[in-house]
Amino acid sequence: MFRRKRSAEDFRAEIEAHLALEADELKREGLDDDEARWKARREFGNVRAAQERFYMRGRWAGLDKLLRELRFGLRSLRQSPGFAATAILTLALGIGANTAVFSVMNAVLLKSLPVADANRLVYLRTSNPPRGTGTIDSHETFSYPVYDALRQQQRGLSPLMAYVPLSGSKVAVRVGAQPEEAEGDMVSGTFFSGLGVNLPLGRGFSSQDETRHAPLAVISYNYWTRRFARDPGVLGKALYVNGVPTTIVGVAAEGFEGVEVGGSTDFWIPLQSRPELNAWGNPLEDGKNYISDSTWWCLRLIGRLAPGVNRAQALAQLQPVFQTSAYLGLGSPMQGEKPPVVSLDDAKNFPGYDEQFGRPLRMLMAMVGLVLLIALANVAMLLLARNATRQREFSVRQALGAGRGELLRQLLMESLILVTAGGALAWGFAEMATRLLGRWAEIESSLAPDKTVLLFTLSVLVLSALLFGLAPLRVALAGGAALALKTSAATSHADAGKSRTGKIVVALQMALCVVLLVGAGLLIRTLRNLENTSLGMRVDGLVVFGVKPNITSVPEGMTFYRNLMSKLRILPGVESVTVMEERLGSGWSDNSDMRVDGRLPEVPGSGSRTVRSNVAGPDFFTTLGVPVLAGRDFADSDSASSPHVGIINEQFAQRFLPHVNPLGHTIGTDDGRYTMTVVGVVKDHKYRSIDETPIPMAWYMYAQIPMTGAMHVEMRVHGDPLAILPAARKTVQQMDPDLPLIRPMTQRAQFDTTISQQTLFARLAGFFGFLAVVLVATGLYGTLAYRVSMRTAEIGVRMAVGARREQVVWMILKDSLLLTAAGVAIGVPLATLVGRALASSLYGIKPLDAMTYLLAVAGVAAVALAASAVPAGRAATIDPIKALRTE
Amino acid sequence: MATQENNDERIALLQGTLDLLILKTLVLGPCHGQGVARRIQRRSEDVFLVDHGSLYVALQRLEDKKWISAKWGVSENNRKARFYSLTARGREQLAEKTGEWRRLARAMALILDSGSGLTGEGA
Repeated sequence: MFRRKRSAEDFRAEIEAHLALEADELKREGLDDDEARWKARREFGNVRAAQERFYMRGRWAGLDKLLRELRFGLRSLRQSPGFAATAILTLALGIGANTAVFSVMNAVLLKSLPVADANRLVYLRTSNPPRGTGTIDSHETFSYPVYDALRQQQRGLSPLMAYVPLSGSKVAVRVGAQPEEAEGDMVSGTFFSGLGVNLPLGRGFSSQDETRHAPLAVISYNYWTRRFARDPGVLGKALYVNGVPTTIVGVAAEGFEGVEVGGSTDFWIPLQSRPELNAWGNPLEDGKNYISDSTWWCLRLIGRLAPGVNRAQALAQLQPVFQTSAYLGLGSPMQGEKPPVVSLDDAKNFPGYDEQFGRPLRMLMAMVGLVLLIALANVAMLLLARNATRQREFSVRQALGAGRGELLRQLLMESLILVTAGGALAWGFAEMATRLLGRWAEIESSLAPDKTVLLFTLSVLVLSALLFGLAPLRVALAGGAALALKTSAATSHADAGKSRTGKIVVALQMALCVVLLVGAGLLIRTLRNLENTSLGMRVDGLVVFGVKPNITSVPEGMTFYRNLMSKLRILPGVESVTVMEERLGSGWSDNSDMRVDGRLPEVPGSGSRTVRSNVAGPDFFTTLGVPVLAGRDFADSDSASSPHVGIINEQFAQRFLPHVNPLGHTIGTDDGRYTMTVVGVVKDHKYRSIDETPIPMAWYMYAQIPMTGAMHVEMRVHGDPLAILPAARKTVQQMDPDLPLIRPMTQRAQFDTTISQQTLFARLAGFFGFLAVVLVATGLYGTLAYRVSMRTAEIGVRMAVGARREQVVWMILKDSLLLTAAGVAIGVPLATLVGRALASSLYGIKPLDAMTYLLAVAGVAAVALAASAVPAGRAATIDPIKALRTE
Repeated sequence: MATQENNDERIALLQGTLDLLILKTLVLGPCHGQGVARRIQRRSEDVFLVDHGSLYVALQRLEDKKWISAKWGVSENNRKARFYSLTARGREQLAEKTGEWRRLARAMALILDSGSGLTGEGA
């Protein structure tokens, strides 16, 4: 394809033939041999020019020229492999980091919900539910009667869709014989059709499916891939959910995994009415499930604006219906009670993502942006330095007739080669980094770079290619053709203006480096603080897992857990075993008011009355290693028939029972239906997360309160905590083959999940800070080395007239120290801004932490010194005679 | 760039006319480049000056357009030469270009021969 149809040799042969024929003819006309040949040639004119014209008008001449320039560019880069490798690697790191962070940001913050016409979708929110109700989220969840009333109102939202998880985490499912866990939601019949989610396989649900509570299931594309290897025969298979068989009827579109934050729903079933499939996996309350219990606001609602209706109009339709239905089954509102107000929220993007990841991601984007700036400046400086030393080459080429256009093309081609190589490397790097980021952040939705990301990266690449091509042009052309005639190295390089630009760039790079180091330092020390925070318990050696047995009565549940605990206790290596309703370190807590000695306690000042509570088993605090300060721990002897006992923490005692011995006092639920006697006071410890401050807590004894739901088992074992899991799993399945261990992990890992975001953030910030330091170091080294090399002659002269080596070294070092000082002077104020922006992400450290700033400045200074040491050393070893000879 | 004898009797070829002359020359039969140049010069009674460099580039251009085809052969005096011949497409083009040229020449003649409206200075 790339071969010209006719070679230049062939053309030359034709002209030779022409000249011979012409000479023959002229001879026939009477000229002698030599004269004929000479005249033929003269008649023809410029043979070379004709050949050149032939060559230039060949079809592939343009491409050929490009290839030639490419070859030339490659050759010239190959002559300085160190430069090429540094430039390409720098670009790859800078652009790769940006691509990776941008693609996460794109996936998390910019991408819309994977549904049809997401602009018309709205989440329903409420100001606050009526008195006497329980909620999952006081602003985002609704009762079934409210859902039922609102969906009749078709003129505002059409349709209205409800969805509710089958569990706070994962539910027990079974496909074959082995029990597993998966994330599942119950949804209204309009869910898939209303959202406009495609089903590449099978069908979604209908309204009849919802009314009949049909045992059907749609699985996510991800789950289909992960669990069923995309087997098209999955339709019709049975999926047992909490032991209830459902039939898989469809697979949802790729990328659709629910409409909630971090959604990675594996399957959906129509709204159900069976007790095993209550909303959120809760046990029935007074025999009522989520449908019949109007005090339990647990459903999430999303709707599509009806055609031709705007948000305000839809809201006007909904509001009266909502305010009436909110009190269905609750009686009329109390005197002076403010009725709840419904509102509509944009559902274009995942709502919570912005709160959860928005800040850190934007900070990260800014950080990698700075890294990119440093990287680009670095490569530009490298190119400047390289092209300045090539000035003679450019001058010679200009003197030989190369146009400015040709030099420009050459420079652009070289930068294009660098940028293309760097870009290709960056893309690979970004793919890898994105995968790591996704795993660390536990964002299961797809983070893979898409078209938007590609466009972003390409524009960065094109911009840098232009920058790198054009920046050195001025220097390259500055010499002009006349420079080729000059011979002095000193005169050809002593251009003050250029080195001033270089100095400014290096000083700015140092300033950015200070900013990044301060940011990284603050975040890393935050992480240190979090990791070293005392949990108030002996967390090592603890392992935790959940179980959700199929039990229908209180005694049955108690029997189950008592049996389970005694079976687990006798496993080899087990020190102690206990149970709890809410898992420690899960980020969740059950908060309510509690009565003390029969009434709600008065709290002095504006103190809160909120108490965190949990339901715990025997030996609870002994197992955790939380010191019991007064009284005793729960024991096996505390049973349903013995007096009700409770345990409180220090905070509870200090706030609600000050100046008295808390033991023996009575505490209980805010409705007064359950009371218990305080038998123990324990030391405050971390409960919900690592970064919390302690608040009052109370523990109920599991055997004494009517509960039948899922519990978490906590075991203290000798040796590796996770090693006990196979034996524990076997024990559980001997009791019920349908029961998986839910999210088994060490208690330490469970607590760590509450700082996973800070961990990720700090690690990334640290990495980017390190990257910035490396880049700045290479940049500084390159610039200084170049400056020393062009001052060789000057140094030689200085030494020849008596300068000592120390003076020369100092001269070089002074140069970089001045740059560092300038960089620090600009960087520190900038860093304080960054510190303030980070303030909310810090723990145990102030944004203006002097130590961090000192370390950052010291770091930059160290880098500057290290980078100048080699050039300074080289300057000191310059032989004056040799240096002068290079003149 | 071509150093040509400045002969007042000769006229440099108008842009675009060379293609037409080549095509016309080749109607007589296949011919090599030097032959084409000679024929044009001779048949214009040595009025036209053919720049040989331009001629070969023009030949190449016509070949690229597939109006003429070329192959290496041997001349009457036993020299290797590249012979050009007219293709069917070339023949069509010749007819078309000839028509165009005639119209142009006629229009030029009409204006130049009218003798009015133009004041010949020193004619």
